[in-house]
Amino acid sequence: MLRFVAVRLLQALIVLLVMSFLIYGLIGLMPGDPIDLMINANPNLSPSDAARLRALYGLDLPIWTRYLNWLAAALQGDLGYSRLISQPVLDVLKPRLLNTLLLLSISLVLALAIAIPLGVHAARKPNSVTDTAVNLLCFAGISVPPFWLALLFIILFSVTLGILPAGGMAPIGGDGGLAERLPYLVMPVATLTLVSIGGYTRFVRAAVLEQLRQDYIRTARAKGVSERSVVWRHALRNAMIPVVTIVALGFGSLFSGALVTETMFAYLGMGKLIYDSILGNDYNIALVGLLLATLMTLAGNLLADLGYAALDPRISFTETRT
Amino acid sequence: MGIGLRLGCAAVALASALAGTLISGPAFAKDDLVIGAIQFPGTFHPSIDAMATKNYILDMARRPFTTFDQDWKLICMLCTELPSLEKGTAVEVTRPDGTRAIDATFTIQPGAAWGDGTPITTKDVLFTWEVGKHPQSGITNSQMFAKDIAGITAIDDKTFTIHWDKFRCSYDSINDFLLLPEHLERPVFEADPSQYRTRTLYDTDRTNPGLYFGPYRITRVESGAYVVLEQNPSWWGEKPSFKRIVVRTIENTSAMEANLLSGEVDFVAGEVGLSIEQAIAFEKRNGKRFNVVYKPGLFFEHIDLKLDNPILADVRVRRALLMSIDRDAISRQLFEGKQPVAHGQVNPLDRYYSDDFPKYPFDTAAAVKLLEEAGWTELRGGIRHDASGRRLSLEFQSTAGNRTRELVQQVLQAQWQKAGIEVKINNQPARVLFGSTMRERQFSGMAMFAWLSAPENIPRTILHSTMIPTPENGFSGQNYVGFSNPEADKLIDDLEVTCKEDDARPLWTRLQQIYAEQLPSLPLYFRSDSYIMPPWLEGVRPTGHQYASSLWVEQWRSKQ
Amino acid sequence: MSAGRRFLSHPISVLSLIVLVLLGAAALAAPLVEGWLGVDANAVSLFNRFGPPSAENWLGTDELGRDVLVRLLYGGRVSLFVGIAAALASAVIGTIVGLIAGFYGGRLDDFLMRLTDGVIALPLLPLLIVLAAVDLGKLGLPAALAQSDQVSLYRIIVIVSLAGWTTVARLVRGAALSVRQREFVLAATALGAGNARLMLVHILPNVASPIVVATTLSIGNIILLESVLSFLGLGIQPPLPSWGNMLTNAQELIWSAPLLAIYPGLLIFVTVIAFNFVGDGLQDALDPRSGPQRR
Repeated sequence: MLRFVAVRLLQALIVLLVMSFLIYGLIGLMPGDPIDLMINANPNLSPSDAARLRALYGLDLPIWTRYLNWLAAALQGDLGYSRLISQPVLDVLKPRLLNTLLLLSISLVLALAIAIPLGVHAARKPNSVTDTAVNLLCFAGISVPPFWLALLFIILFSVTLGILPAGGMAPIGGDGGLAERLPYLVMPVATLTLVSIGGYTRFVRAAVLEQLRQDYIRTARAKGVSERSVVWRHALRNAMIPVVTIVALGFGSLFSGALVTETMFAYLGMGKLIYDSILGNDYNIALVGLLLATLMTLAGNLLADLGYAALDPRISFTETRT
Repeated sequence: MGIGLRLGCAAVALASALAGTLISGPAFAKDDLVIGAIQFPGTFHPSIDAMATKNYILDMARRPFTTFDQDWKLICMLCTELPSLEKGTAVEVTRPDGTRAIDATFTIQPGAAWGDGTPITTKDVLFTWEVGKHPQSGITNSQMFAKDIAGITAIDDKTFTIHWDKFRCSYDSINDFLLLPEHLERPVFEADPSQYRTRTLYDTDRTNPGLYFGPYRITRVESGAYVVLEQNPSWWGEKPSFKRIVVRTIENTSAMEANLLSGEVDFVAGEVGLSIEQAIAFEKRNGKRFNVVYKPGLFFEHIDLKLDNPILADVRVRRALLMSIDRDAISRQLFEGKQPVAHGQVNPLDRYYSDDFPKYPFDTAAAVKLLEEAGWTELRGGIRHDASGRRLSLEFQSTAGNRTRELVQQVLQAQWQKAGIEVKINNQPARVLFGSTMRERQFSGMAMFAWLSAPENIPRTILHSTMIPTPENGFSGQNYVGFSNPEADKLIDDLEVTCKEDDARPLWTRLQQIYAEQLPSLPLYFRSDSYIMPPWLEGVRPTGHQYASSLWVEQWRSKQ
Repeated sequence: MSAGRRFLSHPISVLSLIVLVLLGAAALAAPLVEGWLGVDANAVSLFNRFGPPSAENWLGTDELGRDVLVRLLYGGRVSLFVGIAAALASAVIGTIVGLIAGFYGGRLDDFLMRLTDGVIALPLLPLLIVLAAVDLGKLGLPAALAQSDQVSLYRIIVIVSLAGWTTVARLVRGAALSVRQREFVLAATALGAGNARLMLVHILPNVASPIVVATTLSIGNIILLESVLSFLGLGIQPPLPSWGNMLTNAQELIWSAPLLAIYPGLLIFVTVIAFNFVGDGLQDALDPRSGPQRR
């Protein structure tokens, strides 16, 4: 077990290292550099000024040297400064990460709270009217473009009804407490929840259906355990193993999927930060942000594996994974 | 979807019950003014990275020595009086090496003090110059500090003389000499000049009162969300009316509109706010509740023509290009006439504007005649060809993602098509267009963008033949079109040393005539800034040039 | 029950297929509709901006006076083309990777599967944004190609397929592994069939069903992805219309012309959901053992 975790951590480290190089190279391939952006905002910038600033920012060095310099500094804990916000990278990331985690955890809890009962209900009577309705709903959730859903929400609740703020984080001058932020969270949370319910519900349904076919369920039924208890206690409990796995596996993609929602609602989270930093040639933020997103996925995968092992004693990690 | 929406509604009802008071009604009483801006400043350092929102905010918290006022006259803000040759505060001198130069003497306002009470002195001036010319300090524009200013002498605590490198009529304007507090910034700078740009107190201690000396000072910064400014007790000038000013960043324009309507934002400033189209659309719907003010300004929207292109080398083609587009219709239909058509690059509001030059009204027939004279006689598939079979086809570039420009481009493309001119749109992100395509003259045909200048700006960098960017001169200069006209060169050289208005006027007139005859670029219109103001707000006077209206924030007040 | 029959027994899937056929036909017929209505998808009319629905412009006109209906149809061509082309490209890459991994096994299989795991672990959307922002000129592509009108179209197909092949690769590998041990493959090997022949003739047909299902399902996802990228301004570039980039403009106009934001999104939604239902139906029809069993 320990050995397994150690191997996985090592693998994760390698993935991160490769990623950091890849992303650095890709960002280097993006049009222009930060100084071009400055010229854009300030057409009077003279070429000699541009050359001086390029040298000062180290942009005149070849990309390899720049990457190695960055890596050496990063390994010593110096992640550099954000070009767009003029603050150390970690100072910029921390509040954004917290904002995103808040958004994601609320949506995740809500989505599961809705998906689990829906999925179980659908699984109890396959091909019934309920099942078909739930199925339709799931497909709708999977198929709706999240940014369009967000637009519809803004049109309905901000433009037409005028009852929710169209974007932002909190009113000005407040203490930033949760109560103040609630109205600003409603639409982003609703968007994220609606687009993730479908997948979860289908998964819960399939997992419960699978369990209901097992022998132990038949035994339980034969013993006269009530149908309610069979479904909700026995089948669901065992069905939770794959569900937990899929939730953990999906966390990384949820993390980067929040990008669209955050951008639509000007919600100051990681996704929007990554998006802005890519467009703004803010190398340091984009790089660390993307690495963090990768880390989330890797951590999700590891947690899924560990969770699987903890929940299901039949699985051990001595055999190689296929 | 049905269930989803219903769930959404339930959540909304709950949330709005909780938050009802927060959303409805103005967020602040009349003592406060909330200004909406579409960007958040990257840095708060006055001389690092020019950015509209930063300048707009800092202009409430600090003042330049000199600037142009709303009537486009140069005035003193931090100094007491403009130096002048007549009064003897500016003196023509001959440097030891024989160059003709000029010394100008400025005096700092006697009561001027930083927000922590430290008086503003010539020590700050010398320190600012030291930082400005240091190659590693990270100051964005170092030209004035490192090249134009040959030296500064402090006469006493409040008076100093600038020794310019050569004689120039603009000796009295030091608009971009933005003072830094020596008592706070020197230790940071001296610790390591190359790290100054990240360690400056303007970014590490942004609410330090000692950094500011305007009517307001920055007291709170929520990164990405808003900046709060409160009255500065050390301010020596007229007392401002609002107790607090909040500049709130709302990047999404539809959200900006929602915030205006709900009263969370009082005012959207033209310098940092909505595009003209959005403002016009807003006015149509909410004109009763808000005053929308359009101020045409010094954003000169035009199309640069690459004169090395054999098609465009012919002035008849250039004139035909201008005559086959209906700029009046564009101005009327897209901008409700709020953005006046430009006929030359000098704004009619400038004191040196002359009306005495040829203009090119919309006239497709005349354009076609010119094209035929130029040899583009044969129409094949709607596109003109010349005798050798060359196609009248031009590449048309602009900044990708700028919606207004993309709209105009498509209209122009359709109009040129009617004259038999094929135009291929190929847009690039702004940073690429300005970073390399224009700077290295890689564009092949036409490029649409804007010049922003100060009033009375002599167009040396864009019209003088020495300002054509080449690899040899390190791509310096902005004469992207490759305009080379000996008479224009001479006029520009003369204008820089002709200081009397009456002597300069004929030179200016002739320069405008040459531009209109030669058409190195196609003038389109002067862009307008649009201000969305509540009816109770008084005293906001848009400037129309690159210096923000917030330099006069102390005159803003609420009517009630 | 035959596959066709099983598919027909899903009314929603059949309906979806009909919807898709109609949408595809309408998109293909865009130039005909253009001629029939007497409008031009790219004709700018400054005097007819935000026009209401009329006999000529059935859905009104947009902010440049262009016909919304015809632009939607042309946008549909682009969105459907991107979806189908990228899904096919992903399927081809995935099939090759999966076949090789499953057939040869051993170290090669290990390596390819680690690679697949690695690609799956990537934060997809932000990476696609980086890829979409890459300057093709800097990659050494000739300027004429890097700046052509169509380049945004092919770029998005390439980058989506680069990320989208993993599902098919895993499916094919799994299937290839199991098929490899079956008698008829062993027999063919004994008869001296070459590796390529074995893979193409004996193994590929046996893994066709899951590939078809996965590809159909992925078309929907790709159309969604394309719309997101185009919406963010990084996908299909105007004036080429796609449903995604039509929404970019509409976003700024939701106060004055909210309908412009409704139509393209609705079409994306309908198309994606239809592909998903068809995929679901196919899965049931072709491969009744896998997936969410329903009977």
